[in-house]
Amino acid sequence: MKTESIALALALCLAAAPAAAQVTSERLANASAEPQQWLMYSGSYDGSRFSPLDQINRTNVQRLALQWVLQTGVRGRHETTPLVIDGVMYLTTPQNHAYAVDVRTGRPLWHYERTLPKEMSLCCGPQNRGFAALGDRLFMGTLDAHVVSLDARTGRVRWDVAAADADKGYSFTGAPLVVKDKIVIGVAGGEYGVRGFIDAYEADSGKRAWRFYTIPGEGEPGNDTWKGDSWKRGGAPTWVTGSYDPTLNLLYWGTGNPGPQMYGANRLGDNLYSDSLVALDPDTGKLKWHFQFTPHDVHDWDSTHTPILFDDTIAGTPRKLVAVANRNGFFYVLDRVTGAFLLGRPYTQVTWAKEVDANGRPIVLPNTDPSPNGTRVCPSGTGGTNWHSPSYSPRTHLVYFFSYEQCDTFLSDEKLEPPYQPGRLFIGSAFFGVPEERSESAVRAVDPKTGTVKWEFREYADAWAGVFSTAGGLVFSGDGQGNFIALDAESGRDLWHVQLGASIHTAAVSFAVDGRQHVAIVAGDAVFAFALPRQ
Amino acid sequence: MRMGTIRVRLTLAAVLIGGSTLHLSAQAAAPAAEQRNPLAGDASAIRSGTVLFRQECAYCHGVGARGGFRGPDLTTGSWTHGGADADLARTILDGVPGTAMPPHRLTSEEIWQIVSYLRTVQQPPSTPIGDPQRGEAIFFGAGGCASCHIVKGRGGRLGPELSTVGSARPRAYLVESIRQPARHLAENHVFGDSSLRYDTVTVVTADGRSIVGVPMNEDTFTLQLMDTSERVHSLDKKTLKSVRHENRSLMPAYDAAKLPDADLDHLVAYLQSLRTAPVARTKGGSYEN
Repeated sequence: MKTESIALALALCLAAAPAAAQVTSERLANASAEPQQWLMYSGSYDGSRFSPLDQINRTNVQRLALQWVLQTGVRGRHETTPLVIDGVMYLTTPQNHAYAVDVRTGRPLWHYERTLPKEMSLCCGPQNRGFAALGDRLFMGTLDAHVVSLDARTGRVRWDVAAADADKGYSFTGAPLVVKDKIVIGVAGGEYGVRGFIDAYEADSGKRAWRFYTIPGEGEPGNDTWKGDSWKRGGAPTWVTGSYDPTLNLLYWGTGNPGPQMYGANRLGDNLYSDSLVALDPDTGKLKWHFQFTPHDVHDWDSTHTPILFDDTIAGTPRKLVAVANRNGFFYVLDRVTGAFLLGRPYTQVTWAKEVDANGRPIVLPNTDPSPNGTRVCPSGTGGTNWHSPSYSPRTHLVYFFSYEQCDTFLSDEKLEPPYQPGRLFIGSAFFGVPEERSESAVRAVDPKTGTVKWEFREYADAWAGVFSTAGGLVFSGDGQGNFIALDAESGRDLWHVQLGASIHTAAVSFAVDGRQHVAIVAGDAVFAFALPRQ
Repeated sequence: MRMGTIRVRLTLAAVLIGGSTLHLSAQAAAPAAEQRNPLAGDASAIRSGTVLFRQECAYCHGVGARGGFRGPDLTTGSWTHGGADADLARTILDGVPGTAMPPHRLTSEEIWQIVSYLRTVQQPPSTPIGDPQRGEAIFFGAGGCASCHIVKGRGGRLGPELSTVGSARPRAYLVESIRQPARHLAENHVFGDSSLRYDTVTVVTADGRSIVGVPMNEDTFTLQLMDTSERVHSLDKKTLKSVRHENRSLMPAYDAAKLPDADLDHLVAYLQSLRTAPVARTKGGSYEN
């Protein structure tokens, strides 16, 4: 779309904006037609985290200016993706606080604060990654394993349902995804011996519509990939939001590590459906297909990545595809209709597998399991990448994501394996950095047709930002030291950056206010909104 | 393996510490000051304590309790916050306010299990071999140590402060740090970013000048460097010809030619004498002020 036509579209939508904030499933399915909004976690159902807005572009990005800052006042790592709907930003924070914010001024409209139990089993802090929206309601998963629905205009609770037993290590940290009239949400707790699942709730009542267990129960296909009764506490959580194809009516969701993640002797077998991508019927929760990236994982390589849905021609045939940059160091492309494996290539240093075979199964190298004295393996336990959002640009046809160059020493000792205790860590030892090795990180652009890295932008040390791309030819990212960075989507050259004073743990979003494109990023405990200066 | 140089990342493991303290079963009450470990020497308690230590403590205190990226070596037999059973139990339970040591809501039994384990790795306190007074003279004199290290307010700023190093590190570690300083880099926690270490960085400016120093801070675009004359440089990486992280300490290796064994013993004896003043603990462990 040309700039003029976008501007026109903005003007048209603006006229209707202040009336009623009603998010319909049709609007969600056509989210890219409303680039002035950010209607869901990944911006659109395809998981692309791409904005069709091009007002901010490669030639003017250097003029970006701060418009407003919102200090949330909540301490902790903000991993949230704000939603922007009809002039209001909806933002979650750690500890399940939430704000509605006037997107023109940054002034809060309401503030929701949840009373949480003092004692919770949270591996990685009291994070939350955002809301989902439908009608005039917002939906959030909570650290105490509830799902709540808030009135978008007041922040008042409409319903609040307990989904799982928080005392057994279940919690919600990821943003839900609305599919038609249902709220789909994945669960965390892979460090506590949970049995992972994906749930769907009726939007209007909070009644649970279905649950898909990521570990098959007794008698179900795949249950025999777990030794004994290890499946009961085998993990496979689902803590990052999935993607959805409305045409195929298929929901795509990544699953996490089997537990205990670094000790596998008590759970011999492939441990289905851990470290997999599952495709579900969103109406029933029935499994359509699965693809397991790391069978019998012992390195904590969750596959809880945002699946990127895109169409392209492979070997002369137009295909519906799904791409995943996996924590295990390989970049994968599958047929998203059937789950058939098409491509798997390393994008970072990989020492645990020689390659993947014709079916995508890794050919594991000997002596790469954790050991009592430590085994050096690349990628690290963090993975070649982690949960942070990737992005796909339909303009450049490239997949962008954050990646790490680092290795870890993985320890495990059968004599020291703790017994399972509900709600207690159940991880099977530990992993540590390798002394004298520097860790590096980079934003990488991969051509999904070949799996080759087209460019990379190296960042200093430990970065945890996600990636976001725009029709303006830009890729936005950030570093762990507080720089918010704009890169050229074609070349990876850095075009602009600003130091925000606190590390960035999420990806940027874009929206428009009064016809002006904004880019917002959360750094530290604050939201920063940027736009070009007024003419 | 010594864990003194673990890179810190916000990995799962890194946050496990925070996470594990969030969960909790019935919390133990602080033990009475005179209480002895009821599980002392019990084989099963030692095994459980080993498991718990690895899960709850090893990330900071290192595998085998030999010191980690932010926790001291616990095998030295020197206990800054009291070495009686009840002291150890209370330190584990309450943490140490003002330090990275958090409170742990473990059960009494679990705490005693960890104490049982710690007693198995604890070495008898080593008697200094040398003469600390002569060591002090070397430190501030011929050894040149004070040109980079501060002790009790005296000395240079480039290297780690050593005012309490005797409490945190055993003799073997100190010997190795002097003889082979390049083997393990200490970390610089000044900014709360433990990925910064006492690394040596050499930059070459656009006009061809070399600056050698220790990074005070760094990000993707900039570098703040203290050079060997303690001047701080604020540098934009793009304007530099090169930035090289040497991944080694600026400290020279003090081999036997530079520092004979006898002098090494004196110097180590002096460093071992540098200890934290024991923290006075009131009964009940209240830290309100």
